[in-house]
Amino acid sequence: MGVFDYSKEALENLKIEAPGILDRLVDFENARTVHLSKDRSKKDKRISLKEAVDEFVQDGDVVLDTGFGYVRTCIQSHFEIMRQGKKDLQMIGAPNTNQSYMIVTGSVRYSHNSYTGAEMRGTDRNYTRQLKAGKVRILSEWSHGGIAQGLKAAQLGSPGVLSKQMLGSDIVKYNPYLKVIQNPLKKDPDPSLFIPALYPDVTFIHAQAADKYGNAYIYGPTVNDLAGAAASRKLVITAEEIVPEMDIRLNKRGSIIPFFYADAVVELPYGALPGSMPGCYYWPRQWWEKLMRFAAINEENIKKFIDEWVFGTKDQIEFIEKLGGAKWMIEARRQTKAAEGDNEDVDFSYQEYTINNDPGIFY
Amino acid sequence: MKNDAPANPLEILAYIISAQIKDETIVYVGTGLPMVAGILARKTHAPNITMVYESGGQDPIQGGMPWSVGGPFTWRKSPVVMEMAYSFGQCYNGYVDIAFLGFAQVDMYGNVNTHMIGDDFHQPKARLTGSGGNNDLTSLTENMVLVGLQTPEKFPEKVDFITSVGHLRGENTRKEAGLPGNGPIAVISQCGVFDFEPETKRMRVKTLHPGMTLDIAQMCTGFELLKPEGEIPLTPMPTPDIIEILRTEVDPRGVFTSLPSA
Repeated sequence: MGVFDYSKEALENLKIEAPGILDRLVDFENARTVHLSKDRSKKDKRISLKEAVDEFVQDGDVVLDTGFGYVRTCIQSHFEIMRQGKKDLQMIGAPNTNQSYMIVTGSVRYSHNSYTGAEMRGTDRNYTRQLKAGKVRILSEWSHGGIAQGLKAAQLGSPGVLSKQMLGSDIVKYNPYLKVIQNPLKKDPDPSLFIPALYPDVTFIHAQAADKYGNAYIYGPTVNDLAGAAASRKLVITAEEIVPEMDIRLNKRGSIIPFFYADAVVELPYGALPGSMPGCYYWPRQWWEKLMRFAAINEENIKKFIDEWVFGTKDQIEFIEKLGGAKWMIEARRQTKAAEGDNEDVDFSYQEYTINNDPGIFY
Repeated sequence: MKNDAPANPLEILAYIISAQIKDETIVYVGTGLPMVAGILARKTHAPNITMVYESGGQDPIQGGMPWSVGGPFTWRKSPVVMEMAYSFGQCYNGYVDIAFLGFAQVDMYGNVNTHMIGDDFHQPKARLTGSGGNNDLTSLTENMVLVGLQTPEKFPEKVDFITSVGHLRGENTRKEAGLPGNGPIAVISQCGVFDFEPETKRMRVKTLHPGMTLDIAQMCTGFELLKPEGEIPLTPMPTPDIIEILRTEVDPRGVFTSLPSA
């Protein structure tokens, strides 16, 4: 019998008959044991992305989607997970936009859902279709803030937090991990929501820079990644560039993930593609529009799209070639610098992809 | 070239949203029209507001119109970019005065659905995004304003899934569920501006936009709208000056305020 007392109402609503599948995400004792057993030595942890995925992603792992949907997200690592045919992963994240296409190939089979979509680009019809076809099972529903608090609780070193989010909503009825309890210090009724600390199995975080030991520097929104790095059993840092440790010590005054969390370091320029990377490159906007407006609409289109962009490229360099090569790189850098206020006179207008008009370019 | 065309419906909506914003407040904005409205408010009646975003961006220097809420324009030269847990924490702690969000459905008590359409969670007619930050902001923020298109399907008596609790089942039920804040204070659509009757917490017509009648607004609604006492006021419309600021300074490329061409 399991050690966790999951919400029965949620298990029923979600039709989860074998709740053991839920355990790893909240199994603190196991996560602590794994953390204690990590090699503490300050050694060169650099390996290739292929090696990192092969060694650190096991079928069935709970994977954290990092960054913010398509901002500094480890999407090239997701693509490598798909290429290597990893199976039956559970995906959690706030948001977890990228699980959608990973379901199609069977890499993601279970979802701890907070937000799957691409904002104004429209509803993700692929996700609806995969859900109806039973290719993905939702194991829990969350708000963004709920996942943020669960990961933060892990980083704080706490069994969980009492929250005021999600109270009274149907999310609580579709999340076996959540319990409404009385605030123990209040005399008057004060319902509060217990959110347990969350411990993903494996996390890839894409950083602007890292040293070979795994000290990683993030610029721009860190979202949930500092907490996720602390919580995760296994952590792979991928970075736009590898810098000397002294550069991190002396110059990088932003957000730092400490080296001892990291199991591996991958030098991976353009590793956030097709997402954007603060300080480095803007989105290939038409790619996302094509994903949501063309690829997502039926099974044939999405498979063709994945064949072309994921299985049809062996790495991010081939991906860049398909986006337009050097021309794309120049435009993407100009635009992101302008958007961040670091240069001037850049026109952000572009030819949008619509189902009737494919401009055929990605900048 | 001066554009004297009358305000289009999106420009009018942006203005009405901006009118909800008081000066010297902290405003939590999503991308799209709420962001346009925030910048318009800053350039007109509320120059001293602080805008904050779900990216964690605080008080960015204004740039162009963002393509995503995580995009650089929401944290452009921000003095600090908060982690997600803290950016919602500031709503709970009383450092956000008003927030604006959209919805797929909103019901008579201001409960919001962004999860699914249909009555079977496992076989929905349409699966939507899920909560994102919608639940967090609606749960925690002192004053919530909901913005969206009004049709009987989008304004049902009961939403298909309560993503975010507005006034739950009316009366005191939001507070009894343990939630802080006033919950939704306004709903803004193409028909009018709605508030919530203080006792029952049911949606009530506050103002109607020019040319709109109560009958039409009711036909666009899946439940009975409460009416205020006396004559229903007209929603104030933007002056030509404000329209010009909107077109020249706020959204000059019409990213969010031009109607799609036919």
